[in-house]
Amino acid sequence: MGAHLADHPAPAILAEVQPASLPRKELVHHGRDFHWITEKICGIVEGPTPTWWWWCFGVAAFVASFTVAGLTYLVGTGVGVWGHANPVNWAWDIVNFVFWIGIGHAGTLISAILCLLRQKWRTSINRASEAMTIFAVACAAIFPVFHVGRIWMAWYLFPIPNSNYIWQNFRSPLEWDVFAVSTYGTVSVLFWYIGLIPDLGTLRDRFFTVGRIWRARIYGFFAMGWRGSNRHWSNYEMAYLILAGISTPLVLSVHTIVSFDFAVSLLPGWHTTIFPPYFVAGAIFSGFGMVMTLMLPLRAIFRLEDLITQYHIDNMCKITLATGTMVGYAYSIEFFIAWYGSNPYEGFAFINRAFGHYAWAYWIMVTCNVITPQFFWFKAVRQNTTLVWCLAIMVNVGMWFERFVIIVTSLARDFLPSSWGYYSPSVVEIFTFFGTFGVFSFLFLLFIRFVPIMPMSEVKAVTAAADPHGPHPH
Amino acid sequence: MSAPAPIAAPRTGTALGIGAAGIALTAVGVFVSGLEKAATSWLIALTFWIGIGIGMLLLVMIHHIFDAGWSTVIRRQYEHALAAFKWLALLFVPLLLLAWLQPGLIWGWMNLATPLHDGHGTVGTDVLYLKKSGFLNRDMFTGCTAAFFGIWIGLSYFFRRNSFSQDGDGDVKWTLSNRKFAAAGLPLTALSLTFAIIFWVKSLEYHWFSTMYGVWFFAGCMRAALSTGVIIMVWLWNRGDYRGILNNNHLHCIGQLMLSFTVFWAYVTFSQYFLIWNANVPEETFWYNLREMNNSDGQPNQWKWVGLTLLFGHFFLPFLLLLWYPLKLSKKWIPRVGAWIIFIFFLDLCYNIMPAFKDHHGDPEPFLQPGLLWTLAATAGIGGVCVWAYLRSFATTKLIPIRDPRIVESLTHHEANAP
Amino acid sequence: MARTPTEEPAMDKSYGLIAAFDTTPALYHACEQVRNAGYTQWDALTPFPVHGLDAAMGVRRSRVPRFSLTGGIIGFATGMSLIWWTDASDYALIVGGKPYFSPMFAFPVSYELAILFTAFATIIGMFLVNRLPMHYHPVQKASQFVRAMDDRFYIVIEANDPKFNVAATRALLEQAGGHDIAELEE
Repeated sequence: MGAHLADHPAPAILAEVQPASLPRKELVHHGRDFHWITEKICGIVEGPTPTWWWWCFGVAAFVASFTVAGLTYLVGTGVGVWGHANPVNWAWDIVNFVFWIGIGHAGTLISAILCLLRQKWRTSINRASEAMTIFAVACAAIFPVFHVGRIWMAWYLFPIPNSNYIWQNFRSPLEWDVFAVSTYGTVSVLFWYIGLIPDLGTLRDRFFTVGRIWRARIYGFFAMGWRGSNRHWSNYEMAYLILAGISTPLVLSVHTIVSFDFAVSLLPGWHTTIFPPYFVAGAIFSGFGMVMTLMLPLRAIFRLEDLITQYHIDNMCKITLATGTMVGYAYSIEFFIAWYGSNPYEGFAFINRAFGHYAWAYWIMVTCNVITPQFFWFKAVRQNTTLVWCLAIMVNVGMWFERFVIIVTSLARDFLPSSWGYYSPSVVEIFTFFGTFGVFSFLFLLFIRFVPIMPMSEVKAVTAAADPHGPHPH
Repeated sequence: MSAPAPIAAPRTGTALGIGAAGIALTAVGVFVSGLEKAATSWLIALTFWIGIGIGMLLLVMIHHIFDAGWSTVIRRQYEHALAAFKWLALLFVPLLLLAWLQPGLIWGWMNLATPLHDGHGTVGTDVLYLKKSGFLNRDMFTGCTAAFFGIWIGLSYFFRRNSFSQDGDGDVKWTLSNRKFAAAGLPLTALSLTFAIIFWVKSLEYHWFSTMYGVWFFAGCMRAALSTGVIIMVWLWNRGDYRGILNNNHLHCIGQLMLSFTVFWAYVTFSQYFLIWNANVPEETFWYNLREMNNSDGQPNQWKWVGLTLLFGHFFLPFLLLLWYPLKLSKKWIPRVGAWIIFIFFLDLCYNIMPAFKDHHGDPEPFLQPGLLWTLAATAGIGGVCVWAYLRSFATTKLIPIRDPRIVESLTHHEANAP
Repeated sequence: MARTPTEEPAMDKSYGLIAAFDTTPALYHACEQVRNAGYTQWDALTPFPVHGLDAAMGVRRSRVPRFSLTGGIIGFATGMSLIWWTDASDYALIVGGKPYFSPMFAFPVSYELAILFTAFATIIGMFLVNRLPMHYHPVQKASQFVRAMDDRFYIVIEANDPKFNVAATRALLEQAGGHDIAELEE
């Protein structure tokens, strides 16, 4: 290392440096070379459509039709087809909105925050996670938009001059949500697309070489004429870093603003100052649950064990554990301060959550969100892929219930016992929510069929052979 | 040559001298301004230095839990600084004695006879206190404080022992052990710092509550610790020890962390203020109202300006400076930004602690007052002891963890992916 | 579709020389040599960003951040002025007992717009600085180009570089370890 320190003599202590051996886990197994990675990832897009894909696609389309049917019925009839009634006027729709948008956040976390933290293992899962983000945001947006009832008036959400001359109320967190979610959707798509450009260039040239001209043109159009120039890479990487840099505060702000929907109100159980970071931690937690739910089957189907290694799974489990524990911290502090604050309404809201009519939901939430991730302390659990997948599903369930508990229990029993109520969903909203899993899967299946599911250029860049100084295995 | 260039003895002595002088001066304050003023000053100064210590402990644990590479050369300095915890525990004893001998002097709720600021009744008749008395009582306070120090001193001991032992035998087991301690220590430290700040600071105005408070303190600790770290790095560079070891990428990375936590602090502080502002519930807003205007006449008080200084000085100024790439690499400027952040962390603690003490109108004590002198003296005094503890530890081990598995990665960090 | 320039009977105009390298260290050291030889109009083609190559090529730090910063400031100002104008100036309305305008409640939207505009500015800036989209470029005619997007590394030295000389440049590339050296057609 002395050659790089030419401006001053190497200090004596450097001669003593003799690190203990604890090699870092390799991110690509079996010393796969660059060409193998290209073939593996492009092969998924270039090869014939597998039969299972058609089956899944059919099922996904069928399930998605539930959402279409539910929404059609809602628009044709009115919002009354949902189970909302005083005092619970926000229920499954907002629960589902927060649920889906939270799932999206892990994609941004992986692509942006882990990028800033230089966590190289992110490369093999970031493309699919970002796709998950976009599709999850799309599913999330359905709910508030249709909740406004007269969907054809949804453009009132934006500050566009209209015949009433009145403007949007920018004091309302719901209006902030409009900006937050639309910015989040837009920036996520842009970030995803920028990451795709080099890979689209690769596909363009490969399709051109084998004479599939139309495909080459379509991929080529989106590749923008990328040619791997290092002068381009230099600006590209800077742009990517900046996008990562702004996506980080963006993802924090989006769920913060979602939490403001509740926290700026006066409702017991909603108005508490820890909501912003607590919601963000929960969002990342749920998102990692979904990333594992999606990536583990993909890894098995496409035989990606060399690229998504046990080390990747370990890391995802550990982040789930960490964020799950943070959520547990927030639950405890919330409960503690509800008591410490000595406001009887606030205290009741929490007692009611844990022991009232919705206690079953509360304990599902605590079990799934705080207890489930604790299994990830154990190596044996992390190495059992099936078990990890099941626990990830539990995380998804738990986080849906967290939003249900927060939203519904607080609304159902607030200040005045004479206006308490109990909420149950209608068949229409159950179908609509169920269908969004179809919408999501439909989009995700299209993604894995037509877009390289891993950023080839980034995966190549973290292999040992990519280091211009390091040991060279080939 | 194995030992780091030995620190000249007077330096260690100077630090201890400053410590003793500061502590003595604070003791003088007891006779000049009264016990309450001096004790408040002592509380501010202790919280300040303990905050930096907790931040460093967290940084060490975060380093281990992430299996980080680049920060290995810096981590050793944090480990030295962790030696200060046992002395900080000792320096906390006067406050505990005060709690038992003069209850209610600092934490009003410790004495049921303390009159309430609004003039109606005493703590003993205050339903809001009685509800909380299961938590806010002297036994809990003393026991929990002892437990917090137990956690911090214990964790510090293990991280230091493991790291220093590895210098000798180069065994990987020390690193693996550190990782386990970090995993267990992070939740413990999160809880202990939360409840420490609730007991020591938030309970000064026990009517007020905010779930964000622990997170706010966490953000402040991290900022102060990172800034102290950068100052130590550049100091060692100027002394010559770190030449050939410290490179631009280290400075860039730590600068990025300083920037991130600047944003995080602003995020947390803004969220707390904003949610209280927007909901406008009197049982929460009084805390901020006191820090803007007098209770008696509604006139703006000094704390309004302190608050604005926090907004601009603790967020906008460091944020804009740290956004600037060359500044993060400047060995002249980055320690100055660090020193500024540390100073504002101190101011932030003053903002949280001092207005809890009211004059006979129920108005908060002003910021600029003779008593501030004792706060500065106490800060210098406790700081002297901390620096002395650091220097004493510094002289006993290698400058960098020479046998850490990630040490080469850290030394060659300038070749890594610089943006 | 024959894309091999060497098979072309007559070359209109030479764009430059391309040389292939098999490994990142080989490319890295070759880039240092080309840089030290004083060339300015040249480039390296790599299937992924090779870290440290900017320094080896003598490429300056990217100018994209300037676009980003401008975008962010414009976005933030847009948010604040939009909210001030709509809620406090054009149609002032009291809602929830809050002031007509306060930077507090205007902050979330302005913040989002700052990020949105930064994102647009960054991407537009990146495309402008890189002069993309450019769907035709001489290097794409080379038959080996497909591997620049796969597993090989290339150096391209342009003919309009003041130091360019077919023989000397080819010798330099050969000496630097390049192979499959070919001339590119404009």
